Formats: sequence, structure tokens, C-alpha cells
Amino acid sequence: MSNLPRNFVLLDELEKGEKGGGNGLYSYGLDKPDDTYLEFWNATLIGPINTAFESRIYSLKIRCGQNYPDAPPTARFVTKINLHCVGPDGTISPHKLQILKNWKRSNSIESLLRELLQ
Amino acid sequence: MSIPKRIIKEIQRLINDPVPGIQATPHDDNLRYFEVTIDGPQQSPYQNGRFKLELYLTDEYPMAPPKVRFLTKIYHPNIDKLGRICLDILKDKWSPALQIRTVLLSIQALLSAPNPDDPLANDVAEHWKSNEPDAIKTAKEWTTKFAGAPVS
Repeated sequence: MSNLPRNFVLLDELEKGEKGGGNGLYSYGLDKPDDTYLEFWNATLIGPINTAFESRIYSLKIRCGQNYPDAPPTARFVTKINLHCVGPDGTISPHKLQILKNWKRSNSIESLLRELLQ
Repeated sequence: MSIPKRIIKEIQRLINDPVPGIQATPHDDNLRYFEVTIDGPQQSPYQNGRFKLELYLTDEYPMAPPKVRFLTKIYHPNIDKLGRICLDILKDKWSPALQIRTVLLSIQALLSAPNPDDPLANDVAEHWKSNEPDAIKTAKEWTTKFAGAPVS
């Protein structure tokens, strides 16, 4: 298997994000629709039921750098949230979240969002 | 990792017998991933522009079409804001008899013959249909601004 280049990986992710999914519990898309290098993304999460986050909406900003998906994205909560992996400015600490710590090329923006919902 | 003979042959021919106005060079570290430039065809709004594209041959190639898109911004009814191209041979009309060179020639031809009735960029297609001279003017401006054509 050859590795799909970064830009085509992100185009596939965008297409998947536009189709929706995740039972409406998360969504994601480009911050600017003409971002040729698909670097800056927005995402929203709905707090899972039976948790302290229930029925709240959380916004995140995600950045996929030039070495994505070999390197993990960086992510920051825009909405205030109390989570062990999130610093006071909303930044997700890559050392405190398994998926970022053990990032694999097969991971995606979607898998990051799924992990955050756990 | 080994590259199929067909791809090697296509690369050799692209380099030794290039198509006028088209360059396609594989990346040193990934021979399936090409840097492409297409010169805007004469008599088109893209004349004198140089457009960068990227092209990738998946593991399924030639049973599946190459993935290809524009990196240079272009105002065209069949090319969207992210450079994705609406062209039948890149989708359901793909045939393994087609090659990188024929794909790039088709894209060059698409620049000469925009087709607003089969749009990918809806706002651009609307513009094209409602006021073609004005749309062509915008396309020329973009060619100057993003593709390095001299001001006309």
C-alpha cells in the first residue's frame, strides 16, 4: 500500500465530514471553504447524555499541519470545558490524550472527535 | 516499494516526450505523486496563466482513475474552490486505456471549453450562464492574480 498524500487524505476527510454521520454527535468542516491546503478546521461536539457535558455544544478549532497525517493535528476547545486533557486556554494537551500521544497515520479528525466523546 | 511497469513507462514518456503546455514530474520520494503544471490554452480566459495541480495514482490505478486537483486558484464552472475538477473521465467514464497524459490533455481541453451546464462551482456556473462576458472577465482577472498572467 502506498501512502495517500496529505492533501488527498484531507479532501477525503472533508467529503466524509460533509456527508455527516456520528449520529449528529459531532460535525466538522473547513474553517474557510477555499483553504487550498486544508489546514484550518472547525468542529462541534454534543455532550454525551448521562455525563456532566450532556446536551451542551462544544466548538473546537483543529489545525492539520504540513506533516499531517504522519503527525497528529493540534486542537483547541473554543467553548470552555473542564476535561483533564484540556488546558486553561482550551488547548488539548497531546500528552494527555491517547489518540494524539499514540498517533497513527490511519487516524483522522473524525477519530479524534470520537475519542473526545468517550 | 515497487512501482508497476506501466507507471514507470508513463513517467518515462511524460519526461522524454512531453505534451506541449503540460509538465508532470513525480516526487522523488513518491513516484505515484506528481507535481503538474498546465499552461492556460490560447484564446481561453486562462491564456498566459500557469496552473499548478497535484495528481496521485492510487494502488488501484489503472483500474481506478488518478486523483487530481488544481492547487492554483481558478475561476471555472467545473472546478470548485478547492480545485476539485468535474470531469467524467475522472469518475464514471474512466477507462484503464486512459493515461496520465490523456487525463491532463482533457483537463487542458476543459479550460478551453467550460461547461456551465454540468457545474461543480454553482455560483461560477450561474455567473457564466447569466453574463458570460463578465464571467470571462473575472476568469481573466483571477488568471492574472493567481496564475501569473500579465495584466491584459
